[in-house]
Amino acid sequence: MSIPGITVDFDVDNPDLTGDSDTQNEIFIQLFNSGDGALFDLLYREDAISNFSGSPLTGKERTEFFKEFLAPKPFLKAEITHAYVAGDVALIGVKFSVDSTGPDGEPVRIEGNCTDVLRLGEDGRWLMSIDRPVAGTLLPQ
Amino acid sequence: MSNLTSDVEKHTALYEAAFNAGDVDAVNAMYTDEAVAVWEPGKPLTGQARKDSVKEFLALKPKMSAKPRQTFVTGDTALLIVDWSIATVDESGDPELLTGVGVDVLRKGDDGNWRYAIDDPYGEQN
Repeated sequence: MSIPGITVDFDVDNPDLTGDSDTQNEIFIQLFNSGDGALFDLLYREDAISNFSGSPLTGKERTEFFKEFLAPKPFLKAEITHAYVAGDVALIGVKFSVDSTGPDGEPVRIEGNCTDVLRLGEDGRWLMSIDRPVAGTLLPQ
Repeated sequence: MSNLTSDVEKHTALYEAAFNAGDVDAVNAMYTDEAVAVWEPGKPLTGQARKDSVKEFLALKPKMSAKPRQTFVTGDTALLIVDWSIATVDESGDPELLTGVGVDVLRKGDDGNWRYAIDDPYGEQN
């Protein structure tokens, strides 16, 4: 099936970030920029921890945050700075910027680095396990 | 002796102890077989090269101080953000203080003990 705006090969029934860091980055960016938080959340393991909100969120709380956070369509740009794979776990470093709109319609840009831990499941799919923006959050302060 | 632990909160202190004791085997036992260590930025080491590097470095009798700043645990995977410093000597034998903010990815083994899967001591550049 195809999802509007998503040009990467991505199966919602079998989400997989793949073992290739450039493909991971492209999938991550496209799903983030889709504005669909539930779709983006498919990239995370059920028990994954996201720190995008500034606090560690997991499970339903994480999904709800993504829905609210991505609804106004903040625009993510990201590039991989380093990637290390050790068996069924990977550490990815990315440099990112997020452009969004402030309460008075003014443009807001957040830039920073993020550390991502990915895990390879027994079914052969790579998914997000832990994300941690170095700046602490992807929300405007 | 083994410095392995099933308590992720104790892992860094036990690693520090093995390191400061100069115990190469105890230090190396705290890594998974597939572990990647990036003691020199941009130069990941695995397998025998990683083990040999520990032996070479500990021969200088370096002393480490390491404190986790943040710990995230999900199932059998953990991410530790660690403030550390190591007092060692440089190539001419003069004292040298290394510091950094480490990004450590740990995996819990079938025996319940945590081990480094990825050790990236300069992982967080401010």
